[in-house]
Amino acid sequence: MKLFEFVRERQWIPITGYLIYVSALTAGYYYNLTFVQLGLTDLGTQKIGMPPGDVSIVMAILALLTLVAAVVSGVLMDRRGWSTDLYVKFRLLFLVIFVQLLLTVAAPYVSTIELFVLWVIVCSMALGVGIPVSFSFMLDFIPVRDRGYVAAVVAGLSFFVAALYPIEWRIDEFSLVMSAMMVPAVLVLAVLSVKRFRFVDSLASQYERDTFGTGRFCRPVPVRTVSFAFLGPVLLMFGVFFIDSLGFLRIIETPLYIYTSWQSPDLSVRLFIAGLHVIGALAAGVIYTNFDRNWLFLWVFGLFAFTHLLYVFHIQFGAGDTPPLVLPMFYVLAVSFYTTLNFALWPDLSTPETIGTHTALGVGIAGWLATFLSTSLALYSEGVGLSLLNHLTYVNALALLFVVTLPVLLYVHRMVELARGGTTP
Amino acid sequence: MNLELIPLLIIVLLMISAGGADVETTEFVIEGDHEITEHRGALIVGDATVTVPADEAVSGPVYVIGGEFRVHGTVEGDVTQLSGSLVVEDGATIDGELQHIGGSEELSTEATIMERTTVAFESSEPGPIAAYTPIVLTTLILALVGALLSRKHELLLDNVGAAAQDHPLISLTVGALLSVTFLSVFVFMAFTLILLPVSILGLLIGLLIIAYGIIALGYLAGQQLNTPRVGLATGLGVVVVMVLLQLIGVIPILGDLVAGGLLLTGLGAVVLTYFGLQEFEPVSLPE
Repeated sequence: MKLFEFVRERQWIPITGYLIYVSALTAGYYYNLTFVQLGLTDLGTQKIGMPPGDVSIVMAILALLTLVAAVVSGVLMDRRGWSTDLYVKFRLLFLVIFVQLLLTVAAPYVSTIELFVLWVIVCSMALGVGIPVSFSFMLDFIPVRDRGYVAAVVAGLSFFVAALYPIEWRIDEFSLVMSAMMVPAVLVLAVLSVKRFRFVDSLASQYERDTFGTGRFCRPVPVRTVSFAFLGPVLLMFGVFFIDSLGFLRIIETPLYIYTSWQSPDLSVRLFIAGLHVIGALAAGVIYTNFDRNWLFLWVFGLFAFTHLLYVFHIQFGAGDTPPLVLPMFYVLAVSFYTTLNFALWPDLSTPETIGTHTALGVGIAGWLATFLSTSLALYSEGVGLSLLNHLTYVNALALLFVVTLPVLLYVHRMVELARGGTTP
Repeated sequence: MNLELIPLLIIVLLMISAGGADVETTEFVIEGDHEITEHRGALIVGDATVTVPADEAVSGPVYVIGGEFRVHGTVEGDVTQLSGSLVVEDGATIDGELQHIGGSEELSTEATIMERTTVAFESSEPGPIAAYTPIVLTTLILALVGALLSRKHELLLDNVGAAAQDHPLISLTVGALLSVTFLSVFVFMAFTLILLPVSILGLLIGLLIIAYGIIALGYLAGQQLNTPRVGLATGLGVVVVMVLLQLIGVIPILGDLVAGGLLLTGLGAVVLTYFGLQEFEPVSLPE
């Protein structure tokens, strides 16, 4: 790892970059995992008293607006050259976190549907701008060699804390804790936004070094936005997010599964899940760093397929019994794998000139749009009375389809290359 | 689930399969405390505590491979105990045959057992010679195979050894992932009964890969001897690795972790190098 090299040579400035990246992304992802995902539902259903169907429509609005805001801000960042200006990115991040702090403080006071919708619109704008800004920090702070491991640390830490969080979720209490955590970050970013520092100047120019700027998959030739090399991973990642939330949304609605795993009153069970998130993420980091990315995609689809197969099997033959921990274990492994991949993949498919657009499109389409679509579908399947067994059978079929499609797509792509006269693998 | 239960589980599934039972009614209780009052087909007791309450009757066959099976009521069928603990209380009834193969049992004289058989084995606490004979034999076989392999196809062991030595973290990660996933897949396959042979074959191949990994680690250890007789060095290296695995197991938890880590590193290295047919090189990244 380059980090060890920096430590040996006592190069503290690049090490600071690692710390800034890990802190910012971990906090951001944890906020998204808990406050945004859980907060919206709780705020809408419990505080305001909206029907779950209406809350899902508001969630859809959030997802779509976030996608639009992410793409617009990402393209703008690349065109204006902000993607490579660390000070501008600090200012944008300051704005994002400041708005999120206001939203967090205001959340317990939202009492009408109109205010709730307004809250969601502002939230999606902040989230949208935050995506290309935060994801593009990787090219400033993390050398290409270490991206898999650093992405693993971010994913592992976020999930570890989120998995251990107490089961009872009250927005008043959560708003207070989150606000207190965000204030120091806002203050630090405010200072960095208005004043120049020598160490930030050094960090700001790191992207020009060969080991930092250009992503791993853009060497020697940059990946174009409209190309198989970029759209292929977008499609695969879309599939991953889609399969995950389509299956998970119905599983968490089933008390037997959720209260024996993610929301178990037994701390050791939650600790097992939290620890496994970290182990899974680190394993994904090792694989991402040392193998081609397609291996990681295969693992993710394979793990999801097997996980859903286990759930289907348990529903069919072990209904009513306490489900074994091997079920959430495989789910957790799959989630840690693809989250690590998500953090490292988009910056590695980008150059300093395209990182805003690519991260916005990658995270926006593959993450937000897929989650929104699968959420709608899961709610629909629940609404029409589709049994959990049938629902998970469809999800499982989809996962298996992707397991087969990936090698076939790669094989066909190679065939096309050969037919065009290419010889190198 | 306790990994040691897996072979017993496979054996039980083979027995169920041979008995012509319907797999869809087979139930495997892995963990927790359960009171069974209603049950349709074969019941396998794993790491759990399963109780048949008084005045309740469940159908058999019941297979105890771990945990505890307590009978207060009636089992309408056979009970086969391979391991774990069986308690048959006063007034309890086993309508079929109680077959004791292994594990501890506590049978009340007031209980009704239709038929009882015991498969007798050697003393449960064998002497040191009997206890260590399988290990010594395994070590000798592995050392012999290692010696032959290193003399005839040294490059194979060289590639596997290099992967384990130069990329231990990658080898360990791949080994751990493969073992966790495939072990679960094979157990899952066994439950279908149709794929039981594939499951057994898969587990055997897994053991062979681990054995190959031990030989490669032995080859690495043998290189430290700096002798031109590569066969002898590998054979001795295998012995050293096997002795190390035995000794390190004495240390609680940490010993098992280190031993497991070594075996999984070997397994990963074997897979990464296609059984030594090619060198493993991670993807090239900018330094």
